[in-house]
Amino acid sequence: MGDVMQVTIDEVTDFTIFQIACWPDTLGKMGSEAAMMTGVDAAPLPGQSATGEHGALLRIEPLKWWLVCASNAQLPDIDGELGAVLDLTASRIRLRVAGPRAADLLNRFLPINLSDQAFPDGAVGSTGFHHVGVTLWRQGNAFDLFLPRSFAASLIELLEASAEQFR
Amino acid sequence: MTARRIPNSGRIDRSKPVTFDWDGKPLQGFEGDTLASALMANGQTVIGRSFKYHRPRGIMSAGVEESGAIVSVGAGNRVEPNVKTTSQELHEGLVAKGQNAWPNVRFDLGAITGLFGRFFVAGFYYKTFMGLPPFETGRGTGIWMKYEAIIRKAAGMGRASREADPDRYDHMHGFCDVLVVGAGPAGLQAALTAAKAGKDVLLVEQDFELGGDYLADPKSEMERTELVADVIGAGVRVMTRTTAFGLYDDGAAGLVERVTDHLPNATDTQPRQIFWTVRAGATVLATGALERSIAFDGNDLPGVMTAQAAKIYLNRFGVLPGENIVIATNNDSAYDPAAALAAAGAQVTILDLRDVGPKAPSGVKVIRNRTVLSAVGRKKISGIQMAKLAGDDWQGAGRLDCDLLLVSGGWSPVVNLASHRNVIPQWNAEQACFLPHQSNEPIFCAGAANGNWTRDDCRASGETAAKLAMGVEAEMPLAGGWDTPIQPVYEVRLPNAKIKGFVDPQHDVTGDDVRLAHQEGFVSVEHLKRYTTLGMATDQGKMGNVIGLALMAEALGCEVPAVGTTRFRPPYTPVAIGAFSGRNTGSHFKPLRRTPLHDWNLAHGATMTDAGLWHRPWYFAKDGETIDDAYIRETATVRETVGICDVSSLGKISIQGPDAAEFLNRIYTNGFAKLAVGRARYGIMLRDDGMVMDDGTTWRLAEENFLMTTTTTGAAKVMVWLEELLQTRWSDLKVHVTSVSDAWASVSVAGPLSRDVIAACLSERDDISNDALPFMGVAQVTLKDGTSGLIARISFSGERAFELYVPAGAGPAMMDALWAQAKAVGGCLYGLEALGALRIEKGHVTGAELDGRVTINDAGLGKMASTKKAFVGDALRKRPELMRPDRAKLVGIFPKDRSQTFNGGSLLCAENSINGHGEGWITACAYSPALGHWIGLGFIEGGHEPWVGQSVTAADPTRADPVTVEIVSPHMFDPDGGRMHG
Repeated sequence: MGDVMQVTIDEVTDFTIFQIACWPDTLGKMGSEAAMMTGVDAAPLPGQSATGEHGALLRIEPLKWWLVCASNAQLPDIDGELGAVLDLTASRIRLRVAGPRAADLLNRFLPINLSDQAFPDGAVGSTGFHHVGVTLWRQGNAFDLFLPRSFAASLIELLEASAEQFR
Repeated sequence: MTARRIPNSGRIDRSKPVTFDWDGKPLQGFEGDTLASALMANGQTVIGRSFKYHRPRGIMSAGVEESGAIVSVGAGNRVEPNVKTTSQELHEGLVAKGQNAWPNVRFDLGAITGLFGRFFVAGFYYKTFMGLPPFETGRGTGIWMKYEAIIRKAAGMGRASREADPDRYDHMHGFCDVLVVGAGPAGLQAALTAAKAGKDVLLVEQDFELGGDYLADPKSEMERTELVADVIGAGVRVMTRTTAFGLYDDGAAGLVERVTDHLPNATDTQPRQIFWTVRAGATVLATGALERSIAFDGNDLPGVMTAQAAKIYLNRFGVLPGENIVIATNNDSAYDPAAALAAAGAQVTILDLRDVGPKAPSGVKVIRNRTVLSAVGRKKISGIQMAKLAGDDWQGAGRLDCDLLLVSGGWSPVVNLASHRNVIPQWNAEQACFLPHQSNEPIFCAGAANGNWTRDDCRASGETAAKLAMGVEAEMPLAGGWDTPIQPVYEVRLPNAKIKGFVDPQHDVTGDDVRLAHQEGFVSVEHLKRYTTLGMATDQGKMGNVIGLALMAEALGCEVPAVGTTRFRPPYTPVAIGAFSGRNTGSHFKPLRRTPLHDWNLAHGATMTDAGLWHRPWYFAKDGETIDDAYIRETATVRETVGICDVSSLGKISIQGPDAAEFLNRIYTNGFAKLAVGRARYGIMLRDDGMVMDDGTTWRLAEENFLMTTTTTGAAKVMVWLEELLQTRWSDLKVHVTSVSDAWASVSVAGPLSRDVIAACLSERDDISNDALPFMGVAQVTLKDGTSGLIARISFSGERAFELYVPAGAGPAMMDALWAQAKAVGGCLYGLEALGALRIEKGHVTGAELDGRVTINDAGLGKMASTKKAFVGDALRKRPELMRPDRAKLVGIFPKDRSQTFNGGSLLCAENSINGHGEGWITACAYSPALGHWIGLGFIEGGHEPWVGQSVTAADPTRADPVTVEIVSPHMFDPDGGRMHG
């Protein structure tokens, strides 16, 4: 690839994660609220995301979304009968892994299919990285990896050591 | 065997000579050679020594089934033993050495063991080395250890380096619709068919070139080239130098990719090998077949090899392996190698056991109804004795001179991978081989692996297998393809003759060994394998399984299918341990957890220790201090002024929802329904079986919002437990639980001056006085730098203490502020060791006590079990056995002689009665600066009251002398809690 970097790994620091959870009987209503907060037409289905003017909404569990937005965002206020909201920003380190060999590097650790067909732009996955649960979000040709903060340094060491082969 | 390189032949690149080292001697080969072909071209005949008898061994094959030319490759910390020269790609600077021989494989003093070969039959060491007669006869005792060392030294294979592996290895996860294993005619056709139908196809080939059987057939090169181009053009992902070594559940396959093994100058950044886990929708096994030998006297002599191997050396590597060649066959497949060898200038004679067979190729003499009785020669073959059948017996039929004997005793389809998935091979008498049976899983065999012997049938079966893999109905070509049927033969020997005819040359297993196993009752195929070592270890039955089974069938008077076959096990060929480990070695063996204050702690002198996956500060030693000096100072400082401890590793779980209080009320033994906002409560949770599961405080932050803390090591277990309860038992509750352990940086600030230290760091609006924040109070606070956090007035140390939480990223700044204040008043930083001493003084329990065998009563916390509500574990905790008054209960322990110490883990026994498990045990101990002597916590039958006034022995038989101790209340310091509430 000549001078083109095969893989780049960068930490993204300017972000906020608000976890929005609903109850089984408020899925539709809470989904609409979450979509409105994000600025998208509809809440994404499991394994998908939707990006609007206020951020991106990631469906991370059947009854939970992550609203990923700018770091100055305010925690939304949600009626308890509708669901619950929680600020998880400090709990995660966010890495952006990009470049032509990004999927190859990630698949050295993540046991999920990252092909364009199986994990297209906007896809969201909960998966394991050296036995640690992590969240993966594809944005174009880049992958954002949300790592639990306490494990992050250890996992980044592994990722960077393996990335050496793609220099 | 007088091999020589012949001009203008083979696929090697003669413009790229390669120098390599064999047993210290520089030799030359070419790019495209294997180590075996290069050694053969250099006239090397003895390449190895056999496992048990140290017999000289040469090159016996041209593939992974090699049982003779097995060597060590590499030097220093990169030595890899037991490498098959036939699979090792040659590269510049390659270093190879003979193994299991002294001084070398050509002249091996160990060969003396061969003179005693008649005694070293299967199982000889089981019977012979059973103990020192007559004292230990029949008992394998101490003397066996001496024998074992000698036997291990005399027998075996190569030696691995004792140094750490310097190479890197990666793991990789791959996915495809169709995985095709093997890139011969069948595999290429299967891959092409599936790819043309739009499937995502992964084609793996253990060789460094694609083509399989094509590679030894120059006449078909154009066909091969076109097929390979079509495969690549169709978008098939191709992996060469990659072995599929195992098939597993749900379409998973294990592959090992050799990335740099063939490179003379690999960079440090490249992994040597990559261990792949491939998940495939369907799998096509086009793994070919292995040519069998025949067990006759001397069938392992250098210069005896399989017929197809000779054709490969000639046509692929440009090496004519002999000048005067005899081929012993019982099937049609040997005629093609014969024709090629004759065309290359060799004198070739075929001994065909059958009455009829194919027409003799040009320049080839065919003698029918003959086979080989024995190979003649010392370190290489010089001729053979022939045999013919007379009725059911063999008899001698003259001698032929030769320098190379090729044997074709039939073909064994490589069914190993299918066998991993419990596909039991079926015996096909017509083809005299095991064929794969249809799998219940989407696994399909093609080509020679399916018993198809002709090129056309192989390609047709590849296409069929691909269609079947895609769910399209198709008819598989029938096994076979020879014009004249095979005449099965597995062993040739004169009646009752004692010969060295090897069934499994890699393990020196002979036909006599199989008969001995039968004679001694090891007639089951599994017993046969273990008793004789037939088909074990790296061979996995490639060479000898069928012959061994046939001989056992003969001994039993039955047919081969009645004997059955063993299940082949992964790996198909050896895989380096490093590849299995990948990067999960050393400090990355387990994922390491660091607190947000990790770097801060290190910068302030912390010595770290492991606590589960966490790295936590153990102690903060000043210059010249030992760990004991440090923790005793830290413990005393907390009691006297103030100490700060990083408690970020404690589990933290957010519990939200309208039913959160009800949920907690059901989990904990004590009531939580009425816990007020702004208050915390200590809680105990039980398992269903009534045993204590975990403990911690839970803080009510808002009406529907709680923060639960757990022990460090119990966090994941509790989180999973809460999710399970909500999803399976109480799905009607509107509650969400989320781990927020990593969201917060948390410290405990403990000691009489703790309030002052914290207050100095908070905004002026925050009031943490006793009135505003009484014991077990919780509040939101703001640090002077504007960081928002939480504070709780809780104490694990028994001192006035607070836990202060801020968002993880703000942790270091919080520590800077707190430490500046604490240092100014003579405070300290303290670690786990002092934390332990403080809590032992107070009798507070941790995981050391709550080890899964302890009830809430045992822990002295029975009053926390509510009688007014139901909670998890309430029913079974009342089992009579768990309510027995004499159960071991939590106690404190003092040494009788206060100057003495004792060990955690000691048994507590009635005085001078050290028996069995004793009456109790010690869980923790420490020096108490407050009390001025060692103290401990533990459990003893009935608790401390029955033992008042009695002496007890703390027994630690493997580490220390017994110590006399006395049993006291577990609340050894400030039992009224005055300091904590002050």
